[in-house]
Amino acid sequence: MVQYQPPVHETFAALADPTRIGFLERLGRGDATIGQLAAQAGISLTGTKKHVAVLESAGLVTTRKEGRARVCTIGPRRLEREAAWIANYQRVLEERLDHLGKLLERLKAEEGPEEEGRREEQGRPERRDRLAK
Amino acid sequence: MTTKAATYKHTLSRVDGRTIRVERVFDAPRDLVWRAYSEPELLAQWWGRGHRLVVERFEFVKGGHWRVVEHWEGGSAGFEGRFREIEPKTLISQTFEWDGAPGHVSVDTTELSDVDGGRATRVVITSRTFDEQDLEGMMQAGMEAGMAQSHEALDALLARLQGKG
Repeated sequence: MVQYQPPVHETFAALADPTRIGFLERLGRGDATIGQLAAQAGISLTGTKKHVAVLESAGLVTTRKEGRARVCTIGPRRLEREAAWIANYQRVLEERLDHLGKLLERLKAEEGPEEEGRREEQGRPERRDRLAK
Repeated sequence: MTTKAATYKHTLSRVDGRTIRVERVFDAPRDLVWRAYSEPELLAQWWGRGHRLVVERFEFVKGGHWRVVEHWEGGSAGFEGRFREIEPKTLISQTFEWDGAPGHVSVDTTELSDVDGGRATRVVITSRTFDEQDLEGMMQAGMEAGMAQSHEALDALLARLQGKG
């Protein structure tokens, strides 16, 4: 099922650009020519070709010649590895923050509301505990 | 599940090249959030995401070594690194290495700032891999360990990128 996989950093580099993300979104809705992509992004044909070349070498887009136009198609690569890895990493970070939030609620409850300066009026935290210096 | 933090709770995630960024606002003063990060007894209560966490080393100074091990039914995972920079109540920058991908390092930065005049605290975590090989190495190891099972998030990302959202 897995054929040639370009290194993951190529995919990340290919995705780290809003214009190229825009191209992928457009191509997700159907094929488009270089000219159509350029018009959509409001950039030159030359610039568009460069962006498409980056996407192509990362395996995210393929192109073919049709008459005088070059037509771009999304794929063959579907980002499974990268997306799964990123999604997993973000999930871990977010779960960690969920638990941090729960701990903070517990700590606030322990410290008690009166101590923690949660007054109704605009209680500015004048109190500053300075650590070192 | 009603917490006062509910009104503040939100997470923004973004991928930019080799960087993953997660941000959240907690309904708690910065002092408290700082304690949760800097006191190992408190760190042990949340960092493991509900798993038992053993803080094996915690030299909370610049250059200091930290090591924690997450334990769960039938498994464990160790993580370690060094503190690169510590600014009290403001910033922690540390190297991060998972035992499953030894030698592949990322630099994680946690920044705290006041929200609502100090009533709440914004936490921004940025995780940046050193170079492409590190990213590749961590990813390969992660895949082999079967760590990537977040299909919902995956589907959402794929849908967004491919315009089917």
